[in-house]
Amino acid sequence: MLSLLCLMMFVPRVFSSSTPPAVIFPQDPALRMGTSLTATCTVSPERGLHANTMYWTMNGKRLPSSTYDLLSPNGLSVTLHHLNGSQQQSGDNLVCHSGDGHVLAGSCLYVGMPPEKPVNLTCWSRNTKDLSCKWTPGGRGETFIKTKYTLKYKLRWYGRERECEDYSTGQHYTCYIPRDLALFTPYEIWVEASNQLGTATSDVITLDILDVVTTDPPDNVHVSRVGELEDQLTVHWGSPPALKDFLFQAKYQIRYRLEDSTEWKVVDDVGNQTSCRLAGLRAGTVYFVQVRCNPVGIYGSRKAGIWSDWSHPSAASTPQSERLQSGSCEPKSGEQNSTLRRELKQFFGWVRKHSYGCSGMSIKLYDQWRVWLQKSHRTRNQVALWKHTEPSLP
Amino acid sequence: MSGHVKNMCPQLSISQAARTLLSLLLVAAIDSVSAGVVCRKQPCGSSLQRSLKLTKLIHKESVDLLKTYKVSQGDMSELFCQMSINNVPDPNISGLDPSERMLSIYSHCKAFLPHLKRVTEQQTDLQPPSSALLSKLSTAQNRTNGLANQINCIYQTFFPNLPIPPEPVDGPTSVPPSQNVFQQKVYGCVVLKRFKEFLSRVTRELRTLKSQVCTRRTSFADTNALF
Repeated sequence: MLSLLCLMMFVPRVFSSSTPPAVIFPQDPALRMGTSLTATCTVSPERGLHANTMYWTMNGKRLPSSTYDLLSPNGLSVTLHHLNGSQQQSGDNLVCHSGDGHVLAGSCLYVGMPPEKPVNLTCWSRNTKDLSCKWTPGGRGETFIKTKYTLKYKLRWYGRERECEDYSTGQHYTCYIPRDLALFTPYEIWVEASNQLGTATSDVITLDILDVVTTDPPDNVHVSRVGELEDQLTVHWGSPPALKDFLFQAKYQIRYRLEDSTEWKVVDDVGNQTSCRLAGLRAGTVYFVQVRCNPVGIYGSRKAGIWSDWSHPSAASTPQSERLQSGSCEPKSGEQNSTLRRELKQFFGWVRKHSYGCSGMSIKLYDQWRVWLQKSHRTRNQVALWKHTEPSLP
Repeated sequence: MSGHVKNMCPQLSISQAARTLLSLLLVAAIDSVSAGVVCRKQPCGSSLQRSLKLTKLIHKESVDLLKTYKVSQGDMSELFCQMSINNVPDPNISGLDPSERMLSIYSHCKAFLPHLKRVTEQQTDLQPPSSALLSKLSTAQNRTNGLANQINCIYQTFFPNLPIPPEPVDGPTSVPPSQNVFQQKVYGCVVLKRFKEFLSRVTRELRTLKSQVCTRRTSFADTNALF
């Protein structure tokens, strides 16, 4: 009787100004997976409905009457054991129906797990201007109910706790702090996860912005031949513009691959120079080259920063070896000449078409043509694949 | 003296002309700005045709919106749409003559807007941020607002002597107070279902209005041309 009185106090006056047909208790509860729930549907006496004609559904599926308990002429309960995680974030629909199927009342169940401690929290700054952080949800990462993650930070020795506000970088579990970051002083950063069933906090990481700096990839990467040396190419690039604003050096890394290969070779010991010579290459071969940058020695520090993204690929070809053309176990010179001749013919056709003319003729132009050729082969293959898979029109 | 008089007259005529021009401009401005919407006079057929196209678009999107909504609420949500709730606008267009019916379309558009807004707010809490439902609800609000403005302008253009009522007030009686989650699900379903039905009716109504209103105006124009 007391519980019934309590229920009457919870009567919501929102469907209409008149009394709703029935009420369910509890209303919109949050529950842990694997637990049990007993819900009660109490119908208004003036409706003239008897509870033994009512039934329950959960997400549209009728619940067996063996789980029901008739509490009173207008009160019917249902007991659910071993609850599974909610099927949708808006909650599972537990609904009480009259005998003819009409909805009398409903309650949305949020069945899930409290969050586990977020892990793998890492942060980086682009050119010391901002801070981006990412983390991974703890455990399996699935709580089945809405879970909020808040990145918090504060200066270690003073200052108030602040919250990161921009979670809309397009990736889950990331946050972006765009400005107002102090340098030469450590921050403490952590992530708090919370939902209706509990909270969890990640480990606190401590960092100085200057220790986690990355920058933009180098621009103006040029690859060219070294005279007639058939096994070498030289690479030149510009330092990222942002470096000019800061008192730090940079070290670079180069990677290159053959035109038709996916395997990159990395040159690690480039140092802080903006050029490098690649040796030991295959003659007469097109190579793709990329460069990336690591800001080192920021404001006098000797610590390395974080590698930038790789630059856009640049290409060049090594000169063709003459030895191959004059009697060897390689394809006969006659065949080699006809292949070369055919290739040259194609090349000149391309030059005429693009109106470069003889004044623009150079081995660089030839290399550009090789790059174009590879791209157009790929496009033709993709079109062929598309044509093959696309259903034919009637 | 005569020179003095001669000098006086041009000044007087200029200031009179300026005042007259200013008055005319003011009247024109007041005439064309009503209910916060600036309207330019436009040809009858093309303006209604534009509104008809917009209505068809919103209606088509409302079908998909309702489907997306139901999927987002979980199984059994079909039944939610059939429950009765007070204070949600009904989908019927009222009125006997074209001006009344046009006004009814305008009023209904305005009446649905706070409910669409409330549903959006509620679903923002219930759905993940990337949910397609949220962006579709936002689009529906923007387009309905646009349609209301268009109908407002057409009404002022074709019925300039008839007053347009003031903007409906977003008060506590127009949208329900706080609801539990289940009630929010039901409310949203009812709003979107009635919204879809309303748009279907508006589509039919605008076709009829186009033939009634634009044909009548053409007849008047032809008659005037005889004189």
